[in-house]
Amino acid sequence: MRVYILRRLLQIVPTVLMITFVVFVMMQSVPGDPVVALLGDAYTEEDAIKVREAYGLDQPVLVQYFIWLGKLVQGDWGASILTGRPVLQDVLVRLPVTLELIVLSMAVALVIAIPAAIVGALRQNTWADYTATSVAMIGVSIPEFFIGVLLLLVFSFGFSGLLPSSGWVYLPGTCPTMVCGVSLWGNLQHILMPALALGVGRAAILTRLLRASMLEVIRTEYVTTARAKGLSERPVVLKHALKNALIPTVTVMGLQVGFLIGGAIVVETLFAMPGLGTFGIDAIIARDYQQVQGFALITALAFVVINLLVDLTYTFLDPRIRYA
Amino acid sequence: MATPISGGSVREVELSSVAGVAWPAPATTSESPLAEALRRLRRSTTALVGVAIVALLMVVAVFADALAPQSPIANDQTKTFLAPSWEHPLGTDQMGRDMLSRVIHGTRISILVGVSSVVLALFVGVPFGMIAGYYGGRVDTTVMRLMDLILAFPIYLLAIILMVMFTPTAGLIGTMKVTGAIAIVRIPIYARLVRGSVLSIKEKEYVEACRALGLRAPRILLRHVLPNCLAPIIVTTTLGIATAIIVEATLSFLGLGTQPPTPSWGWDLKANVAFIQANAWLALFPGLAIFITVLGFNLFGDGLRDALDPRLK
Repeated sequence: MRVYILRRLLQIVPTVLMITFVVFVMMQSVPGDPVVALLGDAYTEEDAIKVREAYGLDQPVLVQYFIWLGKLVQGDWGASILTGRPVLQDVLVRLPVTLELIVLSMAVALVIAIPAAIVGALRQNTWADYTATSVAMIGVSIPEFFIGVLLLLVFSFGFSGLLPSSGWVYLPGTCPTMVCGVSLWGNLQHILMPALALGVGRAAILTRLLRASMLEVIRTEYVTTARAKGLSERPVVLKHALKNALIPTVTVMGLQVGFLIGGAIVVETLFAMPGLGTFGIDAIIARDYQQVQGFALITALAFVVINLLVDLTYTFLDPRIRYA
Repeated sequence: MATPISGGSVREVELSSVAGVAWPAPATTSESPLAEALRRLRRSTTALVGVAIVALLMVVAVFADALAPQSPIANDQTKTFLAPSWEHPLGTDQMGRDMLSRVIHGTRISILVGVSSVVLALFVGVPFGMIAGYYGGRVDTTVMRLMDLILAFPIYLLAIILMVMFTPTAGLIGTMKVTGAIAIVRIPIYARLVRGSVLSIKEKEYVEACRALGLRAPRILLRHVLPNCLAPIIVTTTLGIATAIIVEATLSFLGLGTQPPTPSWGWDLKANVAFIQANAWLALFPGLAIFITVLGFNLFGDGLRDALDPRLK
């Protein structure tokens, strides 16, 4: 198992290098010049040359990438061309916000999906099943930002501002700057709607998958055996059926990471959250190469690490799966 | 009087008339897989609802110019933020544009991008998948590593960077750029799907027979292999259109889709979010339009999947 994890961790390196290199090359081919945006009205050719030299933008693309990589292995993620702030500092400030959003949205998804799928599968073709599958079908058809808008209409503008429509309050102990709003209740108020907006769609996808898996599993012989030996329905469903039905579901959860990152960008934009999503989209639109590289790096890392965690989850769900 | 069957003296044509023998009934014309699938599709209420929604949207997209009461880009500063009324059934936006006309014309953009991006991805991904699966070896490795490279990206990160590279614009060119970006991120899905099917189909005896008969690879692939991988391709395509419509709306919502004044549901929703506290309908109608369209394709896709492969139900 240790060898497997080590091998997978080593495989992360080429994947992350590949993603960051392709993003680097693609961003260099984007029309526009961030130096022009940086200097604005004060633009002169001499100043532009100096800035390009300072950020290594006068070098060929490949050289620029290896300069960036060389600094990266020393722990230097570069500095934003537009703000001058270290990219790593910005990433670390924004990472907890996005992590909290993604973790809570997955929690929302699981809390909705597991009971809905179990009820749907155990009471197949009853009104409970039809309700679960219909609601799931509606859920997969609504984009996150529209769910967000509906939540805003109801909870921010409908019930006289029950929940805040934008902004952020940090969890106690996570404030990255000298001055920022810190409160557990305030944080909960700010995260609730974004987590719901991002989680409902995932819940719908998981419900559909888990219900289909459960339907297959509850017809297998070992479930019949479990019932025949006198086990009550609860352990049969939760210990035998659900655990095995979760295997394909976990795979899809891993594949959903790409969509989850995209959803985080949209939801953070809608609710004006200071997370990595808004950081990334602002950097891409402003062609701030260093920030984009930072965003691509952290996204690629998240992508591969989550997929590794998904693979490791299999061993917990099915002990027959062993990684040599 | 029929001759007894012992001794093998009865001719084949006389066999069915031999008395006292339970001959099997003559074979009736068996139902083709396509007819069987269509029959199953017709029985599914949800699939029919999906087909009806998709058909209606197609009509709206084709006849948008005739159906829209006004021009979707005509500004009228004297009619800004009008609530829904007989004159403007879905109200007007901050520039005094008729929302019904914008929603109707938005159908055209959404359907166009959704369908054409998936078709484009199909035309590239399917041949790649067939070639990789059929030839195997180095060809397979090269093609599939290229596909893995695209798949290694979170879908939205790649689509966003591609759109920034293409520089979003308005009109048909802008729509084609979004189509291209979405198609690129979806190519590996079809390549992987088809490769998997081809890997199993190429080992079948009828493909071996084709090879033995001296048929050339392109003919075998197009005439004998492709028709047998169509079922998963059709289902993935229909559900893929729904995903492509959501991706288009999301890109537009982020300001990276088709640019104004071209009507786009995602853009309209984003542009009107700032005003929804007082004018909720501004965001509701474009959002509902996206939802209904995606729902239609999802229902249709689900129905097709159940009809083409009932084991997956």
